[in-house]
Amino acid sequence: MAMSRRQRARVIRGAQYAILVLVVVVVALNTNWQRIRAAFFDLDVARGMFPEVITIALKNTVVYTALGFAFGLGLALVLALMRLSSVGPYRWLSRGYIEFFRGLPALLVFVAVGSGVPLAFPGTILNRYVALMLALGIVSAAYMAEVIRAGIQAVPRGQVEAARSLGMSPAKTMIWIVIPQAFRIVLPPLTNDLVLLTKDSSLALFLGSSINQQELTQFGRQALNQARSLTPVLVAGLCYLIITIPLSILSNRLERRYGRGVGAQG
Amino acid sequence: MIDRSRKPISGLVGLLAVAALVAAGCGGNSGTGTGTGGTSGTSGAPAVDLVKDGKLTNCTGLPYEPFEFEQGGKVVGFDIDLVDLVAKDLGVTQDVVDTPFDGIQSGADLNSGKCDLAAAGMTITDTRKENFDFSDPYFDATQALVVKKGSGLSGFEQLKGKKLAVQNGTTGQEYATKNAPGVELVVFEDLGLMLTAVETGQVAGGINDNGVLYDWVKKKPDFEVSKEFNTGEQYGIGVRKGNDALLKKINDVLAKAKSGGEYDTIYEKWFAKKPGS
Repeated sequence: MAMSRRQRARVIRGAQYAILVLVVVVVALNTNWQRIRAAFFDLDVARGMFPEVITIALKNTVVYTALGFAFGLGLALVLALMRLSSVGPYRWLSRGYIEFFRGLPALLVFVAVGSGVPLAFPGTILNRYVALMLALGIVSAAYMAEVIRAGIQAVPRGQVEAARSLGMSPAKTMIWIVIPQAFRIVLPPLTNDLVLLTKDSSLALFLGSSINQQELTQFGRQALNQARSLTPVLVAGLCYLIITIPLSILSNRLERRYGRGVGAQG
Repeated sequence: MIDRSRKPISGLVGLLAVAALVAAGCGGNSGTGTGTGGTSGTSGAPAVDLVKDGKLTNCTGLPYEPFEFEQGGKVVGFDIDLVDLVAKDLGVTQDVVDTPFDGIQSGADLNSGKCDLAAAGMTITDTRKENFDFSDPYFDATQALVVKKGSGLSGFEQLKGKKLAVQNGTTGQEYATKNAPGVELVVFEDLGLMLTAVETGQVAGGINDNGVLYDWVKKKPDFEVSKEFNTGEQYGIGVRKGNDALLKKINDVLAKAKSGGEYDTIYEKWFAKKPGS
């Protein structure tokens, strides 16, 4: 059985193709396509979801995500700076916050904000937008803080030294020199966090909502109640992809572009 | 469908475990029908097929006190006790699965083989009947409105422009959607979240079945049921379409319990009064 290295490689590649073909064939043969079509691709049901699925659900998903991201980003920046602070308690607080909220399921945070806050502070009437901004922001800040901290630390030391030698104060150096460069570095991973956040916005359904406040997931589930097919789930899912796939592509582009720049500096 | 799909898979298992796993995941879309663990209590009747051998799996949505809720680490309630009677008759034990109500009432949970039956304080409606079968009615209910005491809210008219909490997929949601124009309906996932919103004043009131609301106001003296809408509803136990053996079994057990007094005992245990009083 003397096979040259090239022969062996060819056999292995052949086996990989064979496995792929086999899997596809087995799946295709064992699937009841008619049933799948009835369950997921009921065009009448899908048509009935328009235009509300775009004008209400998709719009709300974008609005909620944007609110959460804006609040989360601000909080994350503060946390990142605290994490790098020379004041011990700031570092501990930030560390504690990040570990706590990174370790919790986002769902629990939503329930805690939605039901817990009004229970703990009787008389509070939570505005839905505020509640969503808080819940999504609290969760995403924990993730983004670590990203931003890494970004700040990735800014070459020489930049700080140059700024300081030009007579800039440490605060000015941070604001005008370090943070802008750090954001350039963390733009790709932040875009990734935005994708995750878009999906987390589906948890809004646990806050309760009126018809025109529904985001994609709740809208899809609502439509599911009236339809006898799972098509609404598929339609809602496709709408998420309308948001998330361009973001992913953007993230990849940014990574390629800025990744090169940073590499040249380092 | 299952029988057909099983064969090629098992033939290939040894060859390609991965492929078989993928295929089983896609092809075996109703995991039922293979279980032969139907233990029939009475001889002569057709064996009842169960999704899990030795278990009568009940899909229900917690919390829905006093029909089904958690108490001391166990799921208890009126529905649970009734299903226990069926399970006992079949010689199996009941397995309770807590799942969102919209999956129960759309029939998705039953038709996908997740559960044998659904006893979930569920009203018999025509729409639901299209998707699965109902047992004979076992409980009379009506929609009711819960509000803060002294709020003076006792109808949709006064709730105009205010927020009213409803539970996703319920007949209360349907009723309010049809009959409460101008009222802002806020949809909640389960009864617990809905009642918390009522309690904390996020909404002016909530609509749900009278049974659960009366139970709640007993524990929350600041709140009251200010109106019953007399929707004349009846609860039924849901069973996958075509599972006539189980359906018949449930109906037999219910009839026997009603004539034998067990139904009254269970009713009094959870509602602290006799049926119909």
